[in-house]
This record gives sequence, structure tokens and C-alpha cells, in this order.
Amino acid sequence: MTPTIEVQAVTKWFGDLVAISDVTFEVGPGITALLGPNGAGKSTLLRILCGLTTPSRGSVRVLGSAPRGDVDLYRRLGLVPQQESLFDQLRAVDFVRLCAELSGLGGRAPAAASAALGLVELDPADGRPVSTYSKGMRQRVKVAAALVHDPEVVVLDEPLEGLDPRQRLRMIELFRGLADEGRTVLVSSHVLDEVERFGSRVLVMVQGKLAAEGDFHAIRELMDDRPHRLRVRCEHPRQVAAGLLETGAVLAARVVGTHLLIDTDEVARLRRSLASVARDRDARLYEVVPLDDDLESVFRYLVERR
Amino acid sequence: MTSAYRLLISTLLTKGRLIFLGLLGLLPVLLAITMRAGSSSVPVDHVYDAIVVGYGLGLLVPVVSLVFASAALGDPAEDRTLVYLWLRPVARWKLALAGLAAALSVSLPLAVVPLAVAVSVTGASAALVRGAVASSVLAVVAYCSLFLGLGLRVRRALVWGLAYVLVWEGAVARTARGAARLSINVHARTVLAHLADHALPKNASSWATALIVPLVFTVVAWLLTVRWLSRGDVA
Repeated sequence: MTPTIEVQAVTKWFGDLVAISDVTFEVGPGITALLGPNGAGKSTLLRILCGLTTPSRGSVRVLGSAPRGDVDLYRRLGLVPQQESLFDQLRAVDFVRLCAELSGLGGRAPAAASAALGLVELDPADGRPVSTYSKGMRQRVKVAAALVHDPEVVVLDEPLEGLDPRQRLRMIELFRGLADEGRTVLVSSHVLDEVERFGSRVLVMVQGKLAAEGDFHAIRELMDDRPHRLRVRCEHPRQVAAGLLETGAVLAARVVGTHLLIDTDEVARLRRSLASVARDRDARLYEVVPLDDDLESVFRYLVERR
Repeated sequence: MTSAYRLLISTLLTKGRLIFLGLLGLLPVLLAITMRAGSSSVPVDHVYDAIVVGYGLGLLVPVVSLVFASAALGDPAEDRTLVYLWLRPVARWKLALAGLAAALSVSLPLAVVPLAVAVSVTGASAALVRGAVASSVLAVVAYCSLFLGLGLRVRRALVWGLAYVLVWEGAVARTARGAARLSINVHARTVLAHLADHALPKNASSWATALIVPLVFTVVAWLLTVRWLSRGDVA
């Protein structure tokens, strides 16, 4: 893989706040998802990649150029920024055409604008200003603007925010299509399921650090293999705990009031054992709740294990 | 660059700004009509001091320039739409030039035309009309370049700009000779006095200095805007 994006030991701080800490990775053609919870530093990293801000330390190269200071790079780079703001007084077609003109498309700008709006299923003939658009439509206008000049590298900051399920699907297909054409598509998201649908390479960022990187399925397995904590509400919790420990499916079991707190790294095996253990002890099961299944705790685990 | 210029013009022309600044421009015209109605010949000193120097160069020109120039790049920076211009293969000097051109295109007619009309209505000499037009054009150009960068660089640029106009231009530069050398207002009044054949203002510079310093101001401020566009963070 020839890298189109190279990030070398990048650190970015704002006053006392370290937003990104010593991040190194390379990205080549195809889709790469940048996954991480809100506040992980994803947007700051994408802004650095596009030259909107400079790293405090380290270096970035996109298509062999430093994004800051080489305006010609923007002929080959498109960004969908996270912010919702657009030039509200303009129609979608005027805004996208303006982006095309500024990208040097000249006389081809009107046709390119119509084509880009068509890609995101917006009507170029729509006479309404974008101020009247829904969040999802505005998001699609931004995608059209980022693609209008046919860039080799497309950077998208949470591009699926505000889209309905059908539009999400359509957009994911679009990104896959761009990747299939040999472009580099870097998409950020804080939603694990969304990233799964890209079927892509994943970079996981947590607290400004690169917590994991690799094929999505490897990351998913890593996440599933981590220790899990569950709360079980049942009759006779002490007997059930003893039974579960006998099966070897749990690492630890603790009775807290009427609940049982269970640590396990084999969720599937526990799930199979729990019902039979409860039945054998004549204990009724009321509730099984995973306590650390939110994305934050998954990310925390990935950071701690590095 | 023309695309960016057209866009920036359209963002500048809000109803609120046009009404407020249109009324601000209407006031000297109404004042001139009132003066003319009260007397068959309006004393030239009244026109010169009250309309041109006091209201025109002291208030109308800097305020109109401040409102439009600080918003030309400042508004897109603040509402985070500047990114759509910035992320295109357009040299930063062209963006800065588009911003300055947009600010000038709106400020010049809204500041200079009412002033020229007001002076003409009083029946003042052609020399005074010429002086009012030339000095206000010079001041608008310099103020616009100055406030273009201010809007990009500073939050609440209107407040800082007004403070500059009132404190520096309105007070400090009128008393301190050194400060007067860096005052757009003093140089504009010097040009006005030369063209209208009127007594020079206090701390006035030479004819050439009065022309050159505001132009140097314009170029330096514009270069700083280019630098900030090239090196500053874009939200």
C-alpha cells in the first residue's frame, strides 16, 4: 500500500489541554474509519490533515505534500467538516458551483455541481436556500461540495450525522464506491455499528491517542474478548454465583444485595450456562444487564491494554 | 477570486446593516437640507466642520467601513463557513483581496455618496465636494483594510474597532502629534483641507505624507490579513 496520508508522531495541544498525543499512522487508498468517542481528538486530527490547524509537534503529509502552505493540494483533497454551517443565503446548487469554481473547474463548474448534487440525491433545480434544509440535507450538500472537484483524498468528519437510515445506507454505498475507484476515504465516526458497515480498516482514537488500528473484524474481536461485567437479578443469588463459578465461565462473582455482579471474558459461554445453572438451583432469573457495554468502556479497555 | 468576491458581497448585504447604515448616511443629507432651508447660503465652515469633518470623516466613514470590513472575512470565520473558501486551491492573497474588494464595494457607496450629496445640497464649492469625496475615499480604503484584518483576528471586532475610532482617532491622535502620524482621520482631514483650500487641521502632515501614509496603512494591514489567513487556524 502506498500511503496517501502519513501522520508521524503528531501531538496537538491547546494551552494545557493535549488534544492529540503522539499519533502515528499511514492511510492508503480505500476506506479507513477513524473511530472514537466524542472528544477523542478525531476532528482535531482531521483538521490537521486538511491544514486547518497545525500540529504542535510531528508532521503530516497528504499526497506527499504538507497540507499547510500548499494550496494546490486542495485540488486533490475534499473535506466534509463537522460543523453544520453553510452559506445560508445560497441555493445548494449555487454553493456547490461556487466550490467548483474556487477549485478551478471554470466552465465545467455548473455541470460538476449538478453531478455532485445528484450523487447525494439532491435536486440541482431546487430553488430554496440551504437555510430551509433539514440537517440531513445540509449534510448531503456538504458531501456534494467536498466531492465536486473529484478529489483523490476525501476526508469526512461524522458525515452520517443527521441522516435517516436510507440516506445513511446510500451514503455508505457512495463512500464505498469512491474507495473502489482507488480514492482514499477517511471517515470519522463515534458509532461502532456505523463503522462496521463501512467494512473497512479502522483507527481507534481515545483521549487523543491511537488506541488500536487494523481490520474492523480484528478490532471487533478484540472488543468482544475483553472482560465484561454483568449484573444479574435472580432468586438465590449466592447459589447461582457458586454454580457459575463451577462452570468456569466467570472470572469472579459477587453478591450485592439482591444482585449478582459477574466478571467474565466469555460472554457467549456465560449466556449458555446461566439459564441451566439457575434452573438447576430452582432460581428464577429476572434480569441480566451488561454494565460496561457502552462504547466509552470499550474504548477505555483498548487504551488500557496498550 | 470573483467567485469569492461575489459570495462575500452577498454575505455582507444583510437587511439590518443596509437599513442601519443607510439611515446613518441619510442623516447628513437631512442635516444639509435643513441647513439650506434655514438660510440661502450656508457658511462654508459649518459644512466643513459639522458635515464633512465631524459627521462624515469622524463617524460615517469609519463606522460604515468598520461594519462591512470587519464582517467581510470576520463573519465567515465566526460562523465557521470560511472553511469552504479556505479549503480550495485559492491563494490566500486572493481571498484577502476578495474580502477587501467586497468591503470597499459596499462601504464606498454607503459612506462617500451620502457625504458628497450632503455637501452638494448645502451649495458648497466644487472644491469642497471634491475634497469630501477624495478624503472619504482615502479614509474608507484605509479603514477597510485595517478592519478587514481586525475582523479576522479578533472576536467582537465591532467593539474593538469602535474603541479604536473613538479613542485613538477621536481623542489621542487629535492631541498627540506622534499619534497623529498614525491616524487615518488626521491624514484624511489633511487631504480635505488641501483640496478644499481650508485651514490645515492640528497635527496635519504634508500633502504627500497625507496621501502616502494611509496607502501604506492599507497595504500593511492587507498583508497582515494575508499572513493571518495563511498561518492562522481556521475553525
